[in-house]
Amino acid sequence: MIRQISVFVENEPGSMMKVTSVLTESHINIRAISTFDTPEFGIMRLVVDEPQRAKESLTAKGFVTRVNRVIGVELEDRKGNLNQMLKILADGEINVNYIYSFVIREGRAPVMIFHTDDYEKAEKVLKEADVKLIEDTEL
Amino acid sequence: MAAVSLENWVEKIRDPKIECMSRDEMAALQSRRLVDVVNRVYNNVEFYRKKMQDIGVEPGDIRSIEDIGKLPFTTKEDLKNNYPFGLLAIPMKDVVRVQGTSGTTGKLTIAPYSQKDVDVWGECVARGLVMAGLTDEDIIHVCYGYGLFTGGMGLDYGAKALGATAIPMSAGNTKRQMMCMEDLGATAFACTPSYALYLAESLQEAGVVDRLKLKAGIHGAEPWTEEMRKKIESILHINCFDIYGLCEVTGPGVAQECIHHAGLHVHHDYFYPEVLNPATQEKCADGETGELVFTTLAKEAMPLIRYRTKDLTSIDHSTCECGRTLPRISKFKGRTDDMKVIRGVNVFPTQVETALLGMGGAVAPHYMMIVDREDNLDVLTVMVEVDESMFSDEIRKLDALRNKIAAVLKTALGVSVRVKLVEPKSIQRSEGKAVRVIDNRNL
Repeated sequence: MIRQISVFVENEPGSMMKVTSVLTESHINIRAISTFDTPEFGIMRLVVDEPQRAKESLTAKGFVTRVNRVIGVELEDRKGNLNQMLKILADGEINVNYIYSFVIREGRAPVMIFHTDDYEKAEKVLKEADVKLIEDTEL
Repeated sequence: MAAVSLENWVEKIRDPKIECMSRDEMAALQSRRLVDVVNRVYNNVEFYRKKMQDIGVEPGDIRSIEDIGKLPFTTKEDLKNNYPFGLLAIPMKDVVRVQGTSGTTGKLTIAPYSQKDVDVWGECVARGLVMAGLTDEDIIHVCYGYGLFTGGMGLDYGAKALGATAIPMSAGNTKRQMMCMEDLGATAFACTPSYALYLAESLQEAGVVDRLKLKAGIHGAEPWTEEMRKKIESILHINCFDIYGLCEVTGPGVAQECIHHAGLHVHHDYFYPEVLNPATQEKCADGETGELVFTTLAKEAMPLIRYRTKDLTSIDHSTCECGRTLPRISKFKGRTDDMKVIRGVNVFPTQVETALLGMGGAVAPHYMMIVDREDNLDVLTVMVEVDESMFSDEIRKLDALRNKIAAVLKTALGVSVRVKLVEPKSIQRSEGKAVRVIDNRNL
């Protein structure tokens, strides 16, 4: 299981920097990041090395945050691999709300992060298909 | 911390002879005082003498309170034109203090007091403190501003008249407010409702609510809703009371709620209220909304005759369940000044507050209304703070929430509203009067 932190930010110059500077001050490492924007506000989704501490630091600075379970899947960098994983989920009739990839993994295989409402089932189908899932501890 | 429920409430009345006086006796008292004040202003204030002469009224025409309708009105404009001391009815050497309020444009509105005026002020606030269940054993934390603004001094005089302990905190520095409130053992506090909510939330966040001895909150100086009262009460486990006043008339303590929250009791032995149709100036029937007009029956330094407050309310003369016969004015819908006409519809900030708080905790009660004009069309934007309970990780859920708020506001206000979700604590918290509306239309 991977815990992802989502942060509410207004769509304004410097608003994302305010989030990253809180994390920098707290010596928290960002492993992956994805943002979603509307004309007025956005949501920053982050995978970090210490999610609980990150949430506490952000809350103390007045940010609204939420911690969600997401699934991390290790994918070798070969043609068709993402397609294959998505096919497994499609065959299992699992809806993927969003997906994003890890920034850097020091030479190891890339990781895709995705969010679904049916967490248990998604994990089961992927495991049955021998897809490697990544845990918090492996970040 | 101890809110008292209505069934366990023991009503105390500071001056039962006045506060529960029969209508006839009160009318006789008011009549004597009206005749007296009319004579004083006619003889000592050129402005009033001229105004009465212009409409052919002499002091002799005023024989009872029933004759009040014969007198001319006084307006804010009149105060401005006679700034600062043009309406004084006593020599300057008998003025013991001056309070004031900053208008939105330029000059202050000034309120001079004789020693007797100060005593009456304190007495009226003390009556209100007793309505709130307080006695000479209470410790009252006053975080209204001290200074020209009447809030701080008013509550201070009230506490003094009651014999209670006043802690003159004044406004600002929330951390220090919280520390003193706990350390000095305040049993009641007084400030604007918007600051009361901010302070309550701060106390809750700091986890100190259980260590407080608070039982009552006295809040006024800006319109607020029942929903807001319940919110503050539920966070702090206290009873909150709406207090009303305006500096020209005396400051806080002109009227206040009792535990029945059935309107604000007006101390009409000193401040005679009329509720009039703003257009026709005809007297409104009980329960009908109109503009509140005051005549100060005993004020010495600067008596006001039929002063138009621009506050909209209705009045109820029936005896309250608390036993008082003091008439009750309804909680304010707002000032005629705060009301915004948006695409022809009258909109008050309190309507927005009621609608947001009515969403059952789904929405934070901090908001700001912004009125713009785009392509000759009025556009109302309401900024609402996102908090932990309403934040979702998914845009579609936040969009759905925003649409829901917009729909609730449209139903409540009768005009369509743009809702903008903003970060928590990004709407400025006020330590004095909250600013709820920004009008960019330059009307």
